[in-house]
Formats: sequence, structure tokens, C-alpha cells
Amino acid sequence: MNNKPSNWTRILAVVACVSVLFYLMSVLADLTKILVVSGLLAYIMDPLAVKLESRGMSRTVATLIIFAALSVLLTGSLIMLLPAFVDQISAIQADLSPEQASALFARLDLFVEKKLSFIGIHNLELSEKLQRAMINFGDWMISHLIDVFSLFTHLVLIPFITFFLLKDGRAMKKQIIRIIPNRYFEFSLNLFSKMDSQLGNFLRGQFMDALIFGALAIAALWFLDVKYFLLIGLFAGAANLIPFVGPIAGALAAVTVSVVDTGSFAMAGYIVPAFVIMKLIDDALIQPIVVARSVDMHPLMVLMAVIIGGKFFGILGMLLSVPATGFFKVAVKESILLFRRYRLT
Amino acid sequence: MSDLWINIFRHRTDEEDTIMKLMMKIPIFDGLNSRELAQIERILHQRDFVKDEVIFFQGDPGLGMYIIVNGDIDIISEPEKHVLAELHVGDFLGELSLLDESPRTATAVAKTPSRLLCLFQSDLYDLIDRNPRLGVKIMVQLARTIGARLKKTNEHVNEIKRGLKP
Repeated sequence: MNNKPSNWTRILAVVACVSVLFYLMSVLADLTKILVVSGLLAYIMDPLAVKLESRGMSRTVATLIIFAALSVLLTGSLIMLLPAFVDQISAIQADLSPEQASALFARLDLFVEKKLSFIGIHNLELSEKLQRAMINFGDWMISHLIDVFSLFTHLVLIPFITFFLLKDGRAMKKQIIRIIPNRYFEFSLNLFSKMDSQLGNFLRGQFMDALIFGALAIAALWFLDVKYFLLIGLFAGAANLIPFVGPIAGALAAVTVSVVDTGSFAMAGYIVPAFVIMKLIDDALIQPIVVARSVDMHPLMVLMAVIIGGKFFGILGMLLSVPATGFFKVAVKESILLFRRYRLT
Repeated sequence: MSDLWINIFRHRTDEEDTIMKLMMKIPIFDGLNSRELAQIERILHQRDFVKDEVIFFQGDPGLGMYIIVNGDIDIISEPEKHVLAELHVGDFLGELSLLDESPRTATAVAKTPSRLLCLFQSDLYDLIDRNPRLGVKIMVQLARTIGARLKKTNEHVNEIKRGLKP
């Protein structure tokens, strides 16, 4: 009698394991987010550590130097950008004070009624809706106070875990490989190596692309004198990870702010072309240089992943869904290819 | 003594010493000092095989080199199952896989319960990135080892040719 499990049993076992893993990840959403963000940051910084090691430093010293440099850079950026950030957030708060917000929404109601009456929109009653929202705001604040605490723990935990992942990641990987049965040892080593070479470039490229696009958007919106240019620029950079929808979302945010601010669509005539030009620069210059083409993902696939990520892990989940999709795509593709090359059945 | 101090003043275990001594006998690690050997030891994967367990199959992609810490290994040609060689403690196999991913030319099976160390190709390349000096030393020794084997093969071929001449 043949006691060896069939291929279907194996596939079912893998699917069951992955499902349990996903369930645990969604139950421990906070921990998952912290681990994924820390892992990504450590992975992005790994080539820097390798470069420093090649100059004769130990991994610990290399990690310490990277963290010291990052601390200086972040502190410098905070000193430079914090006043602007605080200004913009205070401006949003001031603009949304009950009186001003009522006036603003009354103006928007009037604008909509005047310009969009031809498609059947007459009165959005935004002021009333705002007042109703303000009543619930108190409850919302209390329920979200706990988030301030979790934000603080994230700010402490993420650098802490990133440090150890960067310093000891190689030893941790070796320990994981140690528990893999002999039968799958070479297969797993090969899979990790293939994933590392493809994903490493992809993730670092995506990160650089978001950073450069964000900087371009901040510069362009500052030049066009759009309110909250810093916040919208950062949002546009992060959203650019999502193909097609991302740049449109960035432009839409900027146009909405300028329409609400000025009460006219005049600025849209500058903002939209600015985003089109930035996207062209991104497609023609930035992406070919920084983003690896080895992980081509269909936009629909990314969009679905963004929706699922958002559903389970919120806004951070939406952002992390792009690298996560790349990870799963490479893992599945390489597993199938390697299964054919190894005698594992 | 606390665990911290035990870790700081930790001495090498007998097993680590055995591994270091074995590594010194491997031609591609010739001329390396103990610090360099320790760096390589950190990237080695230790695997235990039971009797008759396959280490790799003929035709699998070659990924790295194995060093025998203990036990005996049979190198078998397939499909005829002909034993080409029997390797023992201190012997190594698959060193060509450190250079490319060409398929394994024979199957390796543990003849007795065995412990092997695996030096994986991508770990070696990563080490070369981190420590190019050490990388060059290993690569030169690897080239010498392969060169020596090529010379031996040529001698065998010449001997066979001479034997074939009327």
C-alpha cells in the first residue's frame, strides 16, 4: 500500500496552512503590521549594511552606523519639516472649525448647485451632515485615544525590531532553514535565494520610486501654491505605488483641496498637467532606473490586493499590499518553477 | 556567572572545533586564518541524514558544496544505480555547484547515518560582497582545485589514449 500523500493532499495542506496563517495575521493585525513594516525596512536597508561590511566593519557596527545616520537624517528632516507639518495640520483644524466649516460647506453646496444642477444634483445639505458628524466627533475622539498609545508603541517597537532584523537577519534565516526537512532543504534554499534576488530589487525600487515621486509632487504643489502641499505630496508619493489609480488619487486630492480653498476649478488647469508631467517623468525616467521589471504585476491584481489589504489592515494595509503582492507572486511563481526542477513528488 | 558573561567569554564547543579542523583540510579553504574560517563557518548549514537518505538526486539543480563531518556517502550514477565512489569524513562533494547551477551529475546517498555541512552558492556570493578579500582567496583556491582535477582528468585521458594505441 502506498502511504505517500498525493499531490492534491499536499496542495490542500499548503492551502490550509496559508489560510490559518492569514487568519492569525488578521487576528493579530497590529503585530503583523509591526513585523511587516520592520521586515520591509530591514530588507530595504540590507544593501547599505553589506556595503559597510565590505569596508571591514562587523554587521553590528554597520547596523549601528546606519541607525545613527538615520537618526540624524530624521531629526534634521523633522526640525526642517515639522513647523510646516504643524502649520498645515493646524490650518486643516482651523478650516474645519464649526463656523468656518459651515461657511465652507455652504459655499460648496452653492457651487455644486450652480455647476452640477444639469446632472440632477441640487442640494447636498453638507452643512447639516457636518453638524451631525460633529456630534459624533466626541465619541470618535475617545475611541481613538487608544490609537495614540498604539502609535507611540509602534514608533518605539518598529525601530527596535528593525534594528535586530537588520543585525541578526542572516542568523534568523539560517535558524528557519535548520527546521526544514532534508527533502525540501535545497528546494527551500533555492527558493529563498531566487525570491531574494527578485524581490530585493523590486521592493527597494518601489520604495525609491515612491520617495522620488513624493518629493516631485511636494515641489510641484508648493510651486503651484496649493494648500497642504506637504501632506498631499506625501500622500501622492505613497499612492503612486498603486498603478493607474495612485497618481489619479494624488491629483484628485490636490484638485479637491484647491477647489475647496479657492471655490473654483481654475487651479485644476495647472494641477492636472503637473501630475501628468510627473507621471511621464516617473514612467520614462524614474521607474526604468529604480524599479526592477522582474516582478511585473497586473494593475487589476494590485488593485484587488489594495482593497483586501485595506479591509484587513486599514490604510497601512493598503500601502503594504503592493510589496506583499509582489512577495506572494514571486513565491508562487518560483515555487512552481522549482517544483518542476526538483524530484519532490 | 550570568548568561551575558558566559556569552562574552564563551569558548568554542568540541563540535565547533571539529568543524574548524575539518574545514582546514578542505583545499578551497587552504591558507585561510581562523577568523576567516569562522566567517565561513557562520554561513554553513549543518544537515543530518539517516541511512539511505538521498542528499541530492542526479539532475537536480546544483546549489552548493557538501563537506562530510561524519558518516559515509555513496555517489551513484543513475539510472543503472552504479556506485561511482564512496566518500568519507573530511571529503567534499559538489564543489562545481559553487560556480554555476548546472544539474547534479550523480545522486548522493547517505550509506550510514551522516552529518554534512553545506556551503550554499548564494551564501558564498553574499560573503564575497561583504568581504571581497576573503572571497578572492576562496575563488583562487576553488580555481586551483578545479584546475588540479582537470590535470588529473587529462592524465587519465592520455593514459587511456596510450592504452588504445596499437
